[in-house]
Amino acid sequence: MQTFLQLLFSGLALGSIYALVALGFVVIYRSSQVFNFAHGEFVMLGAFLMISLVRGGVWWIVALLITMAVTGAVGMGVERTVLRPMIGRPVFVTVIVTIFVGAIMRVAINVIWGVGERGMPTPWDPTGVVELLGARVLFNSVAAILATAIVLIGFYLLFQRSRIGVGMRATASDQEVALGLGIPVGRVFGFSWFLAGSLAALAGVFLGMFPRIVDGNIWLIALVAFPAVLIGGLESPLGAVIGGFALGVVQLLAQGYINPLLGTFGNNFHQVFPYVVMIGFLMFRPYGLFGTHEVERV
Amino acid sequence: MPTKPLSVRYEDDLRLFASRWRQAGTVLLVLAVLLYPLRASSLWLTLGTEILVFIVGAVGLMILTGFTGQISLGHAAFIGIGGYSAAILGGTFGIPFWLVIPVAGILSAAVGLAIGPFALRLRGLYLAIVTLGLVFLVAHVLRSFPDLTGGLSGISVPMLWWFDGPVVSASQIELLGTPLSASIQKFYIFLVLAVLAVLFATNLRRSHTGRAMAAVRDRDVAAAVMGVDVARTKYVAFGVSSFLAGVAGAMFGWEAQFLTIDATVNLIISIEFIAIIVIGGIGTVVGAVLGAVAFVVLGQLADALLGELPLLSELSSSQRRASFQAVLVAVFLIAEPFGLYGIWLRIKFYFMAWPFRY
Repeated sequence: MQTFLQLLFSGLALGSIYALVALGFVVIYRSSQVFNFAHGEFVMLGAFLMISLVRGGVWWIVALLITMAVTGAVGMGVERTVLRPMIGRPVFVTVIVTIFVGAIMRVAINVIWGVGERGMPTPWDPTGVVELLGARVLFNSVAAILATAIVLIGFYLLFQRSRIGVGMRATASDQEVALGLGIPVGRVFGFSWFLAGSLAALAGVFLGMFPRIVDGNIWLIALVAFPAVLIGGLESPLGAVIGGFALGVVQLLAQGYINPLLGTFGNNFHQVFPYVVMIGFLMFRPYGLFGTHEVERV
Repeated sequence: MPTKPLSVRYEDDLRLFASRWRQAGTVLLVLAVLLYPLRASSLWLTLGTEILVFIVGAVGLMILTGFTGQISLGHAAFIGIGGYSAAILGGTFGIPFWLVIPVAGILSAAVGLAIGPFALRLRGLYLAIVTLGLVFLVAHVLRSFPDLTGGLSGISVPMLWWFDGPVVSASQIELLGTPLSASIQKFYIFLVLAVLAVLFATNLRRSHTGRAMAAVRDRDVAAAVMGVDVARTKYVAFGVSSFLAGVAGAMFGWEAQFLTIDATVNLIISIEFIAIIVIGGIGTVVGAVLGAVAFVVLGQLADALLGELPLLSELSSSQRRASFQAVLVAVFLIAEPFGLYGIWLRIKFYFMAWPFRY
């Protein structure tokens, strides 16, 4: 039972990071029908920038805000220069473009920061733990879950109450009608890329705390988060959050309980297990939990 | 001046080598390619062999993505299956290469057909990510049987002439004064495979199945209404594509002579094949060939030239290649969506209509 709780809490913490990453995908996909394969590179950029800022003596919380703003601005820049000319082209084409945007960003980050490992600084004791129902939970995990919760509430309010949030929802349901009603669709695109970029940066900062190491492979998180997006449904922010938390928990429970059962096949099996779950799940619900079921017309 | 004869029947339109120009061009091309390995330096011979490997793989992906419109990020998985089949069949069981080729293809096609049921339900991004998952799964399975696959340390891929027989190596025969070294023999063998793959894809495109594929790509519901068997078409596309990818994987293994899981079965390889068909021109067989040539040659040139520039010389060779590739593909997608083939068509039409603009 104690092992279970331990795995559950760690899973939730990991899941909160997946949820942030998945939410970034969904925000961009909903507004501009672009599936952003460069998302992992935004995570990477956020993590590296944060480390440099904190080492440079900026207050942790200020550094976090600057990181989120800068990464978001980079996202806006990518949208404006590369993806705006691709509006109306098939999803496939934008996917390929973002894959290569990611490749360029990765090389740029490697050139600027190098590929060596480094630790993510934390304002609290990084090895500190709290006792929770008999399980020992790292401060880092608690912080990740709390930060994600705050961001999610902020998101809900933004989507439901604010002017730009309503504009985003309108753009998601029909771009042309939204444009006709006077919603600045171009600015909505830019804003959603900004949001996604800053979410990715936040995820990068907390992801860097888990193994407490940031290196050139941190972008792979985006590939691991794909199952969360697809299980939740590509168009649904709620689905992304649920999918993200579920993914984190399932992954750690699989590591704890399924890997040992499989012998040598079980080595690192938890890393591909989410994909196995996703493939099985999509057989029964091809559009995920909350994705819109496309009505087919000829 | 020989020009294309006026097409009066449908058969005229379908002919492979319709005009005298094209026939003459084909003969010249064949001669040039046959002489190439005898005169090329060893670096360019290696690059030529690499091009042939990429042609077979790219034709496979072209059938799936270009003809049938099914986006696949899983090409590396089939390449890996082909490569490791060649390694295990050749190394452990001593099976000669001409038998390995069909077996590697069939093994890979079997996995490809297993994706079929998903392709029937999912489309677009969902399918792309399921195929991406296949890459991770295949890599995991290969890693889990280190006795067979060598695990993380990799495995060597011998290319045998006969059962337990001699490895393909230098022979006594001379051709035009050049002894046939192992790499030249490899080049000719791969050339035959590449030509077969290209002819097969060209003919497939002109056949009933090829037209069904185009219909499925353009709108699968509309195709179904017109009586195209969508399920069968998608299965055929996946089967044929992964067969060719398996063969390309075996060739890849023989060319590299040594495979590691991390370098063979990963997303980057899948993306390289996508880059090839995008650069060449999606939806045409010529595009796959042009793309493979451009990819390898430009990659090599970029590596050499960019190394001279001040800031870029600090990048590693693979980083230079990756970023050059990325810029190239982005430029093509934004400026010339039909790739090199599109540029060629524009040049051709310009001179056909010359001196008029249209």
